[in-house]
Amino acid sequence: MPALLLPSNPLRNPEHPLLALGIEGSANKLGAGIIKHAPDGSSTVLSNVRHTYITPPGEGFQPRDTALHHRKWAFKVVHDALSSAGISLSDLDCICYTKGPGMGAPLQSVALVARTLCLLYDKPLVAVNHCVGHIEMGREITGAKNPVVLYVSGGNTQVIAYSRQCYRIFGETLDIAVGNCLDRFARVLNLSNNPSPGFNIEQKAKNGKRLVSLPYATKGMDVSLSGILTAIEAYTQDKRFRPDGLPKFTEDQDIITPADLCFSLQETVFSMLVEITERAMAHIGSKEVLIVGGVGCNERLQDMMGIMARERGGQVFATDERFCIDNGIMIAQAGLLSYRMGMTIPLTKSTCTQRFRTDEVHVSWRA
Amino acid sequence: MASISASEKLLASSRLISQGAEAKVYKGSLTAAGGVPVLFKHRFKKQYRHPTLDATLTKARVAGEARALLRCLRSGVNVPGVRMVDAAEGLLGIEWIDGSSVKRLLPSGAQDGEEDQGGVADDHNPLDTFPVSVVGLMRLIGVEIAKMHLADIIHGDLTTSNMMLRPSSSSDTQPDLVLIDFGLSYHSTLVEDKAVDLYVLERAFASTHPDSEPMFASVLEAYGAKMGKEWPALRRRLDDVRLRGRKRSMVG
Repeated sequence: MPALLLPSNPLRNPEHPLLALGIEGSANKLGAGIIKHAPDGSSTVLSNVRHTYITPPGEGFQPRDTALHHRKWAFKVVHDALSSAGISLSDLDCICYTKGPGMGAPLQSVALVARTLCLLYDKPLVAVNHCVGHIEMGREITGAKNPVVLYVSGGNTQVIAYSRQCYRIFGETLDIAVGNCLDRFARVLNLSNNPSPGFNIEQKAKNGKRLVSLPYATKGMDVSLSGILTAIEAYTQDKRFRPDGLPKFTEDQDIITPADLCFSLQETVFSMLVEITERAMAHIGSKEVLIVGGVGCNERLQDMMGIMARERGGQVFATDERFCIDNGIMIAQAGLLSYRMGMTIPLTKSTCTQRFRTDEVHVSWRA
Repeated sequence: MASISASEKLLASSRLISQGAEAKVYKGSLTAAGGVPVLFKHRFKKQYRHPTLDATLTKARVAGEARALLRCLRSGVNVPGVRMVDAAEGLLGIEWIDGSSVKRLLPSGAQDGEEDQGGVADDHNPLDTFPVSVVGLMRLIGVEIAKMHLADIIHGDLTTSNMMLRPSSSSDTQPDLVLIDFGLSYHSTLVEDKAVDLYVLERAFASTHPDSEPMFASVLEAYGAKMGKEWPALRRRLDDVRLRGRKRSMVG
C-alpha cells in the first residue's frame, strides 16, 4: 500500500443512484427534501419544500404550538416534496430526520413522522445532527473544500472547522444565539415575523444612519450577545428615541430611529462574528469561509465576511435562503452521506434530543 | 495632505511577515535599516467594520496592549518589550523575539499541510531542537500564565500560537516561554476572568492539538503550584466555566 500524505476519501461512489428523503423540524420551519446521489459522485436536489410557522408581530414561537403546526403540515409538506421530485416513497433508499439540537416538541413530531414512514415502507432510518446538516449542504452547494464554517441561526452561533473526522467548535456564543438576539429585538420593535424577523431587521437597517454605541463583547474566539440585546433594548427607552422614526419638530435633529438601532445592532454584532471567524482562520491557516444557518442569508453579513476574506486573500462561500434557512434537503444530504457509510439506526434508537453538539458527530464520510 | 506620517514611513521600510488575526505583522527597525530588529504590529483599517466602530476599537486595543505589556514587564513576566506606540494609526512596535511558536512545536490535528511549509516528515519532532520535554514545556506555559495572572493581567486570547519558545543563551539551561499578542488583554483581579482565560486556552488546546488532555493537565498543575493560595478558588471557578458552553451533554 503506498503511504500517501493525505488519507484517501472513505466515501465510495454508489453503484446505483441513491435517493434520500430528509425531514427537518427542529424550530419553526418544517421542511422536506429529496436528494439524489448518482454513481458519478454528483448530487441533485430533486425537491426542497418548506412551510414556516409564523407568529404575530411581537410574539415568538412556543414549542407546543410549533409542534402542532408541524403535525398539521407534515403530510402536505412530505407529499409535495415527493410529487415535485416525481417519485414515490417506495423509491427511497433511506429516510433521514433531525435528531437534534432544537426544540423538544417539534423534534418529536418530526421524528414520529419519520418512524411512521420507515415502518410503512420498510426503509432504513438515519438520524442527523441539524448543525452537520447545515455544514454538509453548504459544502455541497458552494463546493467549498475545507472552509472555516460560521454557523449562525436562531438557536446556534458557532465557528467550526473540520479536523480528524469531527467538526470542531472553535468559538461559539457564551449565551444567546445571534438569530435569537436579532429576533428578540425585532419583537421589541414590533416588526413582522413574515418572512422572518431577521429579514425585516435587515431591511430596516438599510435606512439606518446613526451608529449608537453598544458593548463589543468578544472573548477569544467566543462572543457574548445577551448584554448587547439589553443595551439595544435600553435605547428604545432613551428620550431621543422616536418610534415612528420622524423628528417631532424641525429642530429635533438629535434623534434615534428604529432603523438606526437595527443598523447599529447589525454592524456591532456582525463585526464581532466576522472578527471571531477571522481569528479562527488565522489560527487554522485557512483561506475559505462558509456561512450557513438562517442568519447566513443576511447580505450585510455576507458582504462584511467577503471584505474580510478578501483582505486575507481568501474567499467567502454563502448560499441563499433556500439552503441557509432550515430545510429538509440538508437533512437528506447529511443523512445520505451517513447512510453510504452504513450509519443507519434501528427503530428503538430513533430518539431525538434538544442538546446535541456539532462535535459529538463522527464525520466518517470525510478523510 | 501629501505628507506621510512617521508611522507610515516606518512601515514602508519594513518587511511584511504575516497577517495575524487582526493585524499585519512587519519586521523592521526604528533606526536606519539594519538596526536592532523590531516587530511592528499594524492594526490596519478593517474595511468590513463601520469606520467609527473601527477607530474606537483600534485605538483602545493598541493602547490596551501596550499598557498590558508594560504591566507584565514590570512584574517579570516574559513578554516582548514595548518600543513605540501610535494608537491613532494603530501601530505598535515591540521587541523582536527569536524563537518558535509553541503551536508548531506540538503535534497538531491539521489535515492539509498548506500552511505547514516546514513540510518535514512526521517522525521529526520539532521540539527536539530545544532542551525541554513536552511536559517541561507545559510546565513553562503554566508558570508563565500564573505570573501574568498574579500581575492581574488577563490575556484574553490564550492559544498555543500566542506563545513562543525562545532558546536561552546557554544551551544547558531551560528555554524561555514568551507570551505574545496581548491584543485582547485587560486588567482584572477577578477569579472569573482568570478562569475564563484558562478555559479559552483549554479549548484552544482541544481544538488544535487532539488528545491534549494530559498536556493541559500538566499546564494546570504548574499553574496551580505557582498561583499558591489563589488556586483552589480558581479551580472551582474553572469547573463552573466549563459547564457554561452551550448544549453540552447534561449527563453527569
